[in-house]
Amino acid sequence: MNLFQMAWRCVIRKPVKSVLLLLMISVISLLLLSGMASQQASVATQDKTRQAIGAGLLLEHNEQNRYKRTVEICERIGENTEGSLEGVHQKRIQTAYGPAWQSWTDNSFETLRLQDVKTIASVPGVSDYNLTTSVFAVNPVGFSRIEDPDVDQSSDLLGVSLVGNKDMKLDANVLSGNLSLKSGRMVRPNDQNTCVISAELARKNHLSLGDSLAFNDYHDPKNAKTYKSEIIGIYQVKQKMAPFMSGDTFRSENVVFTDLRFPEKAAGDEDDPLFEKAYFQVGNVDDYDQVKEAVKDLDLDWERYDLIDNNGNMDTMSSNFNDLQKISTLLVGIVAIVSFVILLLIFVFWLKNRTQEMGVLFAIGTSKWKIIGQILLEALMIGAIALLVSFALSPAASKITADYLVQQQVQQAEEAKLLDEGNVATGGSQESQQSVVAVHAAVTKNMLLVDGLGVTFLITLSVLTAGSLLLRRGPRNLLYEMN
Amino acid sequence: MILEVKCVDYSYRSQKGKQVLRQVSASFEEQTFYAVTGASGAGKTTFLSLLAGLDVPVSGTICYDGQDIGKKGLDQHRKRHVSLVFQNYNLIDYLTTEENVRLGGSARPQELLQEVGIPEEAWKRNVLQLSGGQQQRVAIARALASDAKVLLADEPTGNLDEVTSAEIIGLLKKTAHQLGKCVIVVTHSRQLAEAADQVIEMKDGRLRVMEPPR
Repeated sequence: MNLFQMAWRCVIRKPVKSVLLLLMISVISLLLLSGMASQQASVATQDKTRQAIGAGLLLEHNEQNRYKRTVEICERIGENTEGSLEGVHQKRIQTAYGPAWQSWTDNSFETLRLQDVKTIASVPGVSDYNLTTSVFAVNPVGFSRIEDPDVDQSSDLLGVSLVGNKDMKLDANVLSGNLSLKSGRMVRPNDQNTCVISAELARKNHLSLGDSLAFNDYHDPKNAKTYKSEIIGIYQVKQKMAPFMSGDTFRSENVVFTDLRFPEKAAGDEDDPLFEKAYFQVGNVDDYDQVKEAVKDLDLDWERYDLIDNNGNMDTMSSNFNDLQKISTLLVGIVAIVSFVILLLIFVFWLKNRTQEMGVLFAIGTSKWKIIGQILLEALMIGAIALLVSFALSPAASKITADYLVQQQVQQAEEAKLLDEGNVATGGSQESQQSVVAVHAAVTKNMLLVDGLGVTFLITLSVLTAGSLLLRRGPRNLLYEMN
Repeated sequence: MILEVKCVDYSYRSQKGKQVLRQVSASFEEQTFYAVTGASGAGKTTFLSLLAGLDVPVSGTICYDGQDIGKKGLDQHRKRHVSLVFQNYNLIDYLTTEENVRLGGSARPQELLQEVGIPEEAWKRNVLQLSGGQQQRVAIARALASDAKVLLADEPTGNLDEVTSAEIIGLLKKTAHQLGKCVIVVTHSRQLAEAADQVIEMKDGRLRVMEPPR
């Protein structure tokens, strides 16, 4: 009888052992396949905000390159030279210790350039855009702000905050769903001297739509020019907006949304705007990546800016889902190692139970490698059937595994969010709510091939190791044990 | 002379070098039925293992047909020159009676089974379904299937009753005398020793050729 005939008879006539091994290999193969499928799983997350308003890109000032840019511009102005260039000023001053050089920047250095914003807005696929100013602290003229009665206001600016928008409906607070109108309307692109105030501020000052609010520079409120703004809307928020700085000047209720160019006037910086963020709405969500690449390819001074996905600054589920691939890779690695150990133990146990048979085979002159070959052939026969079983079950198993992993990620993200609640500033914007709508864990032909080869390798390695461990004892020792 | 043992020493590595065989020499002829007797632990099974090529001596040589079996390869020696029968039959439990015999290398397993007296209805049955005596007969048939000139048996009647033992002894004698094989049996059994052409007693690691007890 040849090896194949012997192996086949053993597989068929020892059904319990064969079925147990078949089940074990099927499970290993399924876990490996599920891990691989999860690696590739495209987790479709639903950003509810995105669903509502479409995808978008956010342009912000790059804070990390600020110092580098300042130094470069100072060098261009020249060492020991007074002058101004691109919003950086250099001046010789007299100090108690002798002459010194002072350099500072104005808003034109910090701001997003209007021309750059318009260039990005003209990229095909960008359907709309908004510009948002920095938070300007101004002095309220003729109305009271909201204050905490228990807080000493002596160190506060005693002002309110102005935030200008080109188109308020695309402001981060509105997009996130946190801010909504109670009455009136939002600021539109062509509005001038208009504002939207909080319901609390309106209530405190008995203000209503059509009334006007006046503001001026808080540095010199008595002499500074006052600017009036008509109330066109009253807003409410679900959660208080995170303050820009500490103090009641920046508290959520004292934030007044205005048209784009109003804050700079009221703050005494007319014609020196400070645009902090630009949001570009992508009309078709499917074109998002394409539009993003087109924007990146624009010939702009990118050192000035950060281009961020509309949810890229949110360390929530999205980033956790990105970890799915790492976790799946880890799963595959662990399954492979554990499988090898389990298979090795199974085959050691299996071979120990077959010492008598091996002794007989030795006694009739069968070589060690032929005996190991027969065991390997048996294992591969069972393995082949097990692979077919696992291939059949893999679509369902992969889906279950991927769902489970995603569920774990969601849970982790939610737990982390709970822990961070109240401790992490959100920079004025609210996190959008996200949820998983679908997990596509497809098993490809390539995966089946890799799985088949991997399982075959594991079986071969386990049988060779177990066989070598046992058969190194030699025929005489096996014979003694046998008898 | 088919098998010759020349000045063989053997000691266990695992038992602090306890010497089992000391300068053992012997020769074995075809068509002869040998019985190796001795007390338990005298080294009978070790001697048989060396003859079978299942182990190697510390010193000395074992020659088959004038050639050192160690030099020709022990696997080949076991496959072509010797066949083995054990006390507990050692049949492959997932094979049928016929398949077990075929494992010995014969293309005529049914003839051999007939020769050793296994009824036809048992040929296709799993070998474990046979009685002890029948299983030992199958083991002998497997040993005969290899065309080896030497048949080595370790306590072949150890698990059998007296009647069945007598049948197996008859079969072994027939193998030696009618089939012309050299049959070497390690045994405690007086019944088996009485049937042998030559009895070799093993004592203190040495061999002594004796007349068979009558």
